[in-house]
Amino acid sequence: MFDLLQSILDGVMFGATYALIGIGFTLVFGVMHKINMAYAAASVGGAYGGLLVLVAFKGAPAWAVFLGACLAGGILGYVVYLACFHFIPLGSPLATLMSTVGMLLLIDEVIVHSTDGMPQNYPAMFDDVMLQVGELSIRGDLLLIFGASVACMAALLALLYRTRLGLATRAVSQQPVAAQLCGIRVAQVNIATFVITGVLGGLAGALIGASVGALSPLLTVPLTVKGLIVTVIGGLGSIPGAIIAGLLVGGFENLFQQFRGVTERDLYVMLLLFVFLVFRPGGIFASGAGRD
Amino acid sequence: MDFYYGLAQIIGVHTLLGLSAYILLLTGQVSLAQAGFFAIGAYVAGMLTVLTGWPLLPALAVGGLVGAAVACAVGFPALRVRGLMLVIATLAFGEGVRLFFFNFDYQIARGDLRVGPLGGEGFRQIRYFPENGWTTLEVMLFIWAIVATVMAVLWWFDRSRYGAVLRAVGEDEVAAQSVGINLTAVKVSAMTIGGAIAGIGGGLYAHYTTHIEHTSFNILVATFALAYPIVGGLASVFGTLAAVVFVQGFLIEGLRFLGDWRNLLFGALIVLAMNLRPHGLIDARVLARLARAFGGGRRA
Amino acid sequence: MLELHQVSRHFGGVRAVDALSLAVGEGEIVGLIGPNGSGKSTTVNLVSGLFPLTSGRILFRGQDLASVPVHRRLGLGIARTFQNIRLFGHLTVWQNLWVAQNSPEDRARRGFLARWLGGSAGVRREIGELLEFAGLAPKQDELAANLAFGEQRRLELARALATRPKLLLLDEPAAGMNSEEIGQLRERILKLRGRGVTILLVEHVMELVMGVTDRIAVLNFGQKIAEGTPAAIQADPAVRKAYLGGEATS
Repeated sequence: MFDLLQSILDGVMFGATYALIGIGFTLVFGVMHKINMAYAAASVGGAYGGLLVLVAFKGAPAWAVFLGACLAGGILGYVVYLACFHFIPLGSPLATLMSTVGMLLLIDEVIVHSTDGMPQNYPAMFDDVMLQVGELSIRGDLLLIFGASVACMAALLALLYRTRLGLATRAVSQQPVAAQLCGIRVAQVNIATFVITGVLGGLAGALIGASVGALSPLLTVPLTVKGLIVTVIGGLGSIPGAIIAGLLVGGFENLFQQFRGVTERDLYVMLLLFVFLVFRPGGIFASGAGRD
Repeated sequence: MDFYYGLAQIIGVHTLLGLSAYILLLTGQVSLAQAGFFAIGAYVAGMLTVLTGWPLLPALAVGGLVGAAVACAVGFPALRVRGLMLVIATLAFGEGVRLFFFNFDYQIARGDLRVGPLGGEGFRQIRYFPENGWTTLEVMLFIWAIVATVMAVLWWFDRSRYGAVLRAVGEDEVAAQSVGINLTAVKVSAMTIGGAIAGIGGGLYAHYTTHIEHTSFNILVATFALAYPIVGGLASVFGTLAAVVFVQGFLIEGLRFLGDWRNLLFGALIVLAMNLRPHGLIDARVLARLARAFGGGRRA
Repeated sequence: MLELHQVSRHFGGVRAVDALSLAVGEGEIVGLIGPNGSGKSTTVNLVSGLFPLTSGRILFRGQDLASVPVHRRLGLGIARTFQNIRLFGHLTVWQNLWVAQNSPEDRARRGFLARWLGGSAGVRREIGELLEFAGLAPKQDELAANLAFGEQRRLELARALATRPKLLLLDEPAAGMNSEEIGQLRERILKLRGRGVTILLVEHVMELVMGVTDRIAVLNFGQKIAEGTPAAIQADPAVRKAYLGGEATS
């Protein structure tokens, strides 16, 4: 019994990273009404970028790597924006979608090439710490993941609801033309969205690498799928939805793993998606509808 | 020469893959699931010729039928989700199919060999063509006979009322409903036909490569399927063909000397193509110009 | 032919249509007018099925439309045009008419395969007639998006006719037209009545409404405030107040 609870608890804490990825997808959708299919890949790319800190300064502390990942993630976010959203006319959603998929493949390949396809070790923090709460143990590194993610989400919500940039972002997401007519520089808002979600993504990628112990390019596609599942379950465009859905998916993932093992686990997560699509296509907190 | 026949085989099968996504795109449904139906067709046709000794044509037909059936089943719940959600749902479905085959074992003994799909190792020894003495040239011609037939059928659809209805649904669902078009029937029919085409393509693929595994049907393949009609343009089936020739022929083989970097170039190429020609290589304007050049106006 | 009984459509707190009762008899041309936001277009959307009712009933030839989906209402004989034209821009004029041939008569006349995959002399003739009616015959191969505005409006009307409706809902068909075009539209509408089509005309352009309708209903804030012949409506003080405002009222 406690094995199960332990497993679910671990899953929920890890699920905070899925929540971050889900937030990234959902935020871009909310502002631009498009899906950035390259987001999860860029997040993993950002995490790899953090490793460059180690290349430059051997023996750097783990938090420096995480910071590097955030920076790299932000830069990658800007690159994706330029490549896929800045020049392509708004009236061509298919072209935008395709270009983000192209970007996903491109980032994947760049990672594979620069690392020769070998998994790279990732530094962790607090991985030797273990807290005991009754029968359950809380891993230190998972707690860090959970805490860092929560802090990020809080910062993001504060940004959205208490700053001018956040106000502009919300305006653009509701009425881009009207926002422009009010003097809001839509391009700037979009860029800010991509950079900020890029930073979040880089951190998420780094946290995932830290908890698993290694990064591998094989992460990108499953992370994309899971991130999108989280976004859909939470409702496209809803940040609170993405948060809750991320924790949910994390918990369920471990639950499925307990019962059916690792190889079938992902199949059941997908089944979870289909259940939601059939019974609650709007997600937990439905916000905007789909592209139409 | 054999090299070019091989290339032509790849182009042929990928054209089928692209066409299966093309017919869906006409109705406005963006599907990343075509690689899944492709996989189903591949495994079904392969198992029929290898495990039960069926001749090729019936095996391919059944592969197409099963692909169509699964697509039809997917089509109905797919109607409940729109636009971008459909992309996500089909992506998840495609990945689900891949994972399914990753876990799928079904082997029987053939003499002292064990044949059949074996989970992560895939399905080896699909040796129908070599065992029956087909040359590379014959295989290529066979593939292209099928591709030409499918293209002819789709071309015919495009000129018929069905084709116009498909495009009407893709353009404006509200208007389409209001003139009496049954959206469900149209969209599910398109999904089913797409599944059949992908299934047949998968069956052909399994037989000319003789070895399939779950990684042959991953997101890259799903992307190819979607990229061809989008990059090629939705104005006609030839757009998809042009895109396949362009991507596979020019890019992947012509730049063979880039070795491992080819895949990198594919992603970059898509990004570039979408920025430079968002409506595809062969869009309506190019098509009109081509039509005028070859005499005859646009079909009424 | 068409009966609305206490039909209401609420969006959250907004009562777009409020307890509207209206009857349109066979062969009539009934006008529906009112200031902006009075619920005219919403009424059309309710009858065509795009919006569900909040309450009330709509009967078409005695049949309750409550559970009939949009595309099947056409099968019953209801067709509509759109206020902001919704043509299939990437299809030709011919194709726009072709895809609309979904009436039960068309279904009965031709087999499944013939209707979807074949062409036939019969189809060509019928579409030809529609093109003649709309004055679009020379443009049959032109993409709908390339037509001039007036031509698009005519195509919109012709497309609705391709469905062989018994009841035609016209949603502001005269918007943006000049006097000559309005005159032509009036002629077309009268010709349609001559062919047995019942018409519900939602319109702002008084020149058209007053000149072509048998009866007019006036909406304001979703409610019917007056109904009668064009002459009676023109003289009605309540109508005048709705449009022009009266003395300061609450």
